[in-house]
Amino acid sequence: MEFTLLWAAATGIGMAVVMANIEKRWNLIAAETAGVSDLILAAAVTGLVTGRLAAMIMAGTNPITHPGDILVVRSGVDTGFASLGALAFVSLSSRRQLAGTIDALGPAAMAGLAGWHAGCLYRRACLGAASSWPWAIAQDGSNVTRHPVEIYAALLFLAAAPVLLWWLRRGVRSTGAVGATALVLAGAIRLVTEPLRPSLGSGPVGWYLTAIAIGLAGILIARVRRARPALQ
Amino acid sequence: MPTPRLVAVLTVLLVLLTSCTAQESQTLGPPLPDTNATEVIALLETSTQPVVINVWASWCIPCRSEAPLLERAHAQFGDDIRFIGINVADTQSAARQFIAEFGLSFENLFDAPRTVPAALGGSGVPLTFFFAPGGELVHYQPGVIDERTLALQIDELLRRRATS
Repeated sequence: MEFTLLWAAATGIGMAVVMANIEKRWNLIAAETAGVSDLILAAAVTGLVTGRLAAMIMAGTNPITHPGDILVVRSGVDTGFASLGALAFVSLSSRRQLAGTIDALGPAAMAGLAGWHAGCLYRRACLGAASSWPWAIAQDGSNVTRHPVEIYAALLFLAAAPVLLWWLRRGVRSTGAVGATALVLAGAIRLVTEPLRPSLGSGPVGWYLTAIAIGLAGILIARVRRARPALQ
Repeated sequence: MPTPRLVAVLTVLLVLLTSCTAQESQTLGPPLPDTNATEVIALLETSTQPVVINVWASWCIPCRSEAPLLERAHAQFGDDIRFIGINVADTQSAARQFIAEFGLSFENLFDAPRTVPAALGGSGVPLTFFFAPGGELVHYQPGVIDERTLALQIDELLRRRATS
């Protein structure tokens, strides 16, 4: 039995929870969203189940006739539907203070994604397109050197997390803008690293573009709400 | 969190709605040719193409997620790489049903006593082996293979062939 995927997921969730605790310690989380660590865990589980169900259905496996397959997470989780499931959960469970909650989740989500991508080290799945750049790495027994693409993604997410944390600490004038920016960054970081990932097709580029579009719309809405407080 | 009931109801509805697909009638193909370790090793040693061998069984849950990936890979790289499925610990009818269900078009062989995976150095299902021409083992993937790993190892096989 191999648990590398589980370790990678645990690293991601763990880093998100650590960042949420830093936010809490610095009083960056509003009292009504104080349970942000629980929210991260519940959203992660909801996303996992949604993504697993979507992956099964798209692979032609009926979850009702094969309920045991749902537990075999290693068989595939659709990232796009998993993200939608997690976002839907957050939206439903904190709809009364949604903007503040997604702001609090922004830096935590960046840290979590950094941890998830760095989890490639457990899975020995960091490598991507062939490259002759000085830091390119070859897999065992090979002389083909490759971009450590998942490490690139982890470093970019790790750089984004403190920037959003600093923004939160400085004070957010348009509530919701930090969370929406996190969504834009998540889509953009995945999008720019995607050409370096091995794939049998073009990869989930549509999902990344959708995340960027939703994030940009969120930033716009946050600014409009700030400009017209009567709408709140 | 005031809406766990709502989330539960929505999840159940989603599963029910997306699971309501029409039952398609599947035409079973011919029986799978029997094979054994000696035949497969000879095939690898004489192959002038890279070979991807996937060991599977119809009752294996992760094999269900691999099957569409392998079919896509075969459709994309089938001219340059030989894809072979080895069905183990199974029955002919269940194996043919599985092949029809996923519309697998690459060659599949039947090895009920599981002699092939043992000879190649693996056990259990699923397993995926990537061989260079002549039978050199390039990569062995025990357990389920994901799209990234499959694409990476196929790229590795093709690059090795190009530079050899």
